[in-house]
Amino acid sequence: MIPLLMAALVVRECARCHPAEAKPHPATSMARAMQHPADSAILNEHPVLTAQKGKYSYRIEKNLYTVTNGSASLTFPISWSFGLGDAGQTYVFEKDGIPYESRVSFFRAIDGLDWTLGASNSPPANLLEAAGRQMGTQDAAQCFGCHSTKTQAALEPGVQCERCHGSTEEHLATLKPMKKLRAADAEEISNFCGQCHRTWADVAGKGILGVNNVRFQPYRLTNSKCFDVDDRRISCLGCHNPHQELDRNDAHYDAKCQACHAGGKPAAKVCKVSKSNCVSCHMPKIEIPGSHYRFTDHQIRIARANDRYPN
Amino acid sequence: MKQAVEAQQSGNFDQAIRNYKILLEKYPNIAEIHSNLGAALAGEGRYADAIAEYERALKIKPNPQVSLNLGLAYYKAGQLAPAIATLSKLHREQPSNLQALIVLADCHLQLGENKKVIELLTPAQKADPENATFNYLLGTALVRDRQTAQGQLIIDKILRNGDSAQARLLMGTTKLTVNDFSGALQDFAKAVELDPKLPDVYAYYGLALLATGDQPGAKKAFEQELKTNPNNFDANLQLGVVLRQDEENDQALKYFQHALEIRPGDFGVRYQIATVELAKGQLVQAQRDLERLVKEAPKFTEAHVSLATIYFRQKKKAAGERERAIVAQLNAEKQANSPALKAPQ
Ligand code: HEC
Ligand code: HEC
Ligand code: HEC
Ligand code: HEC
Ligand code: HEC
Ligand code: HEC
Ligand code: HEC
Repeated sequence: MIPLLMAALVVRECARCHPAEAKPHPATSMARAMQHPADSAILNEHPVLTAQKGKYSYRIEKNLYTVTNGSASLTFPISWSFGLGDAGQTYVFEKDGIPYESRVSFFRAIDGLDWTLGASNSPPANLLEAAGRQMGTQDAAQCFGCHSTKTQAALEPGVQCERCHGSTEEHLATLKPMKKLRAADAEEISNFCGQCHRTWADVAGKGILGVNNVRFQPYRLTNSKCFDVDDRRISCLGCHNPHQELDRNDAHYDAKCQACHAGGKPAAKVCKVSKSNCVSCHMPKIEIPGSHYRFTDHQIRIARANDRYPN
Repeated sequence: MKQAVEAQQSGNFDQAIRNYKILLEKYPNIAEIHSNLGAALAGEGRYADAIAEYERALKIKPNPQVSLNLGLAYYKAGQLAPAIATLSKLHREQPSNLQALIVLADCHLQLGENKKVIELLTPAQKADPENATFNYLLGTALVRDRQTAQGQLIIDKILRNGDSAQARLLMGTTKLTVNDFSGALQDFAKAVELDPKLPDVYAYYGLALLATGDQPGAKKAFEQELKTNPNNFDANLQLGVVLRQDEENDQALKYFQHALEIRPGDFGVRYQIATVELAKGQLVQAQRDLERLVKEAPKFTEAHVSLATIYFRQKKKAAGERERAIVAQLNAEKQANSPALKAPQ
């Protein structure tokens, strides 16, 4: 496919001069946030996926998505797969040029299909609705806006260099410096990553309350006592490198906490309970019902058993 | 005088206006000439001038018909507050004047004061249960006030006379209030088909299109409503929102400002105006407007959110953090009041 080829070529260009960023990046979840069905590891590993949900049965075979109610059936070729399956892999197909979001998604925790998050709220009125939710023009634009990269040449699936750094063409031609993100403070980085991960203002303004907001890290982090708009040690970049895959080892984050909690900043206290694996106690994992995934609560806090989920 | 009246009756308002003006030079204190001139001006759509003449006439000699005309002129000019003042006075003096009652109820409806409409029309509707206008206005107010069961009784009554745009508009509005957007969309589409000129029909069609993700369709619908009903509040407000999202800030502002004329002081509209200023980079102005807004509406969460954003952008850290603390407090209150959100982690 042409778009993929473009992305690969551009990254190879960048890697000549920026190997530290460009080499690991293609393996990250963000770079693969949207894929052609042929590139989806889940679809390749599961040649046939089936599920019976109420009176509808679903079947995904390679890139064909089928729903039946016993008497009639609809089949669509999958245009794109979204996500890598931890909190779901959702499929987007088209009918008469209008995009639809599949009503079922794949979840790694159950190694199979279940309702797409939010889909169980509105029962389908007919077979087409059972297949998927019609996406409005704005809805679709936003969906692709967060999971892909629009360049002058094409739509590249996934969050690629240009999505965060701006147009690469001029940089490649003249080495004119690209957008400098390094200088940004914690608040600015939260808003930058929040374009897709949702900003504090997005969540607070819509009043998304309860555990459903745990997946919006910029909001949760802002509400933490550790957060300081000016302090880069608590920015997203203090703990994450967007060019590398997420580190799932708790001990990896100890030094990040201790940058403040080892006496460096007068206000930040030292833990009396433990000296390591801080995040295992202070950033609890919380499941959003229906997501089959335990998100990491970025509202860093003393979490006690039976505490109410704090907003 | 006779000539003028004849001209007026044959629809030649221009001629009538000229004749009345000549007459007024001779007899400036005859109430009837002022009120007739007012009517001719209203016929030309010159409501501001008509209002002035009606008021002169009433000062010389009170007259219920002229009061009604004055109320109507305010109503048509989109000046709902003075229309209500005039018409409620008339309604108190002449409770049996149905025209005054209906226009008064419609003014309240346009201001979103559904409870007032219900209070006004419930006795009238009881006295005349088959009156189609009462039923429609009362049904609309009940449905918008989310009194679904009561509203349904009236919708059923309207439906007994067959399918109609009015019935469809009410049914769709009921569905909107329970977030059944695709159901509402079908009803509104049918209503538009049955009577494209029914006031509010395109505004509601637009709302349902917006809720189902068809922004370009919604935009067209709001524009359509405003062609026949330029003082529709929702159409002005929502068209502004759509335009702001398309980054047509100046256009958006125009509609917001008109919405604010229809409902002066409305918090939602003032918030939208501030977000346009924010989008245009007019931080100082946006800050000032939002500070005023939260003073009057201290529980308006979105306004506090935008204010926090503005403070941080200007590196006013303490003020930003203060706003964030207010938002956290407001959201905590909301959560405490909503049993569904109380689940422990
Ligand atoms: C031929 C070598 C070369 C290639 C190829 C190249 N860059 Fe650069 N890049 C540089 C140099 C040199 C700088 C420093 C420019 C300066 O600061 O004036 C730079 C700076 C940057 C910066 C700014 C870093 C900072 O903090 O200042 C970014 C971001 C960047 N490049 C991204 C990319 C991307 C994305 C690509 C691939 C599309 C790419 N570069 C390809 C040489 C290259
Ligand atoms: C253009 C949208 C976009 C922006 C900007 C963005 N992200 Fe992401 N990010 C995503 C999407 C989409 C995913 C989900 C990828 C998936 O699993 O399919 C993701 C996933 C992640 C993950 C989880 C990776 C994993 O293995 O589960 C981390 C960590 C992350 N992003 C950090 C950041 C940080 C830090 C920034 C800011 C520097 C940022 N993101 C900016 C869209 C974005
Ligand atoms: C505002 C940006 C945004 C929009 C719009 C958006 N997403 Fe995402 N999506 C993200 C981010 C960021 C993540 C990663 C964090 C998370 O899981 O919440 C994500 C995660 C996902 C995941 C789970 C990924 C995994 O690996 O577990 C799926 C599936 C998904 N999105 C599908 C969609 C679909 C389909 C749409 C459109 C209907 C959509 N998203 C719209 C930003 C967005
Ligand atoms: C999700 C957003 C995101 C994506 C995608 C992304 N970057 Fe970055 N990049 C950043 C941020 C944020 C920084 C600033 C990092 C810091 O200060 O630690 C950065 C910094 C850099 C730098 C400068 C490093 C330095 O030492 O100053 C280079 C070079 C770079 N990126 C290249 C790339 C290349 C090449 C790609 C694609 C392969 C890419 N980036 C993709 C967000 C991104
Ligand atoms: C103090 C350290 C820290 C900071 C700051 C931080 N994160 Fe994380 N983040 C983590 C840890 C720890 C995990 C969980 C890693 C694991 O799975 O073991 C995580 C996981 C994630 C994930 C994966 C989804 C999930 O919930 O498990 C995303 C996405 C993410 N972070 C985004 C962000 C963004 C965006 C920011 C900035 C607003 C941010 N993080 C700031 C420590 C941090
Ligand atoms: C930018 C500096 C900074 C970083 C980085 C940071 N903190 Fe904090 N943290 C603070 C400050 C300041 C406070 C408030 C004063 C205090 O309790 O020490 C705080 C408070 C806390 C509290 C008490 C919260 C409460 O509810 O009373 C805990 C627990 C905590 N931090 C844990 C962590 C952990 C774990 C990490 C790493 C994942 C971390 N912090 C990273 C600065 C930081
Ligand atoms: C085994 C779970 C656990 C681990 C691991 C852990 N903590 Fe704690 N931490 C706690 C508990 C429980 C408390 C509350 C103690 C109390 O009640 O005073 C606490 C308190 C704190 C406080 C508040 C101290 C105060 O005096 O108010 C900070 C800050 C903190 N921890 C930081 C950290 C950091 C940084 C790490 C990693 C170096 C860490 N914690 C590792 C459980 C843990």
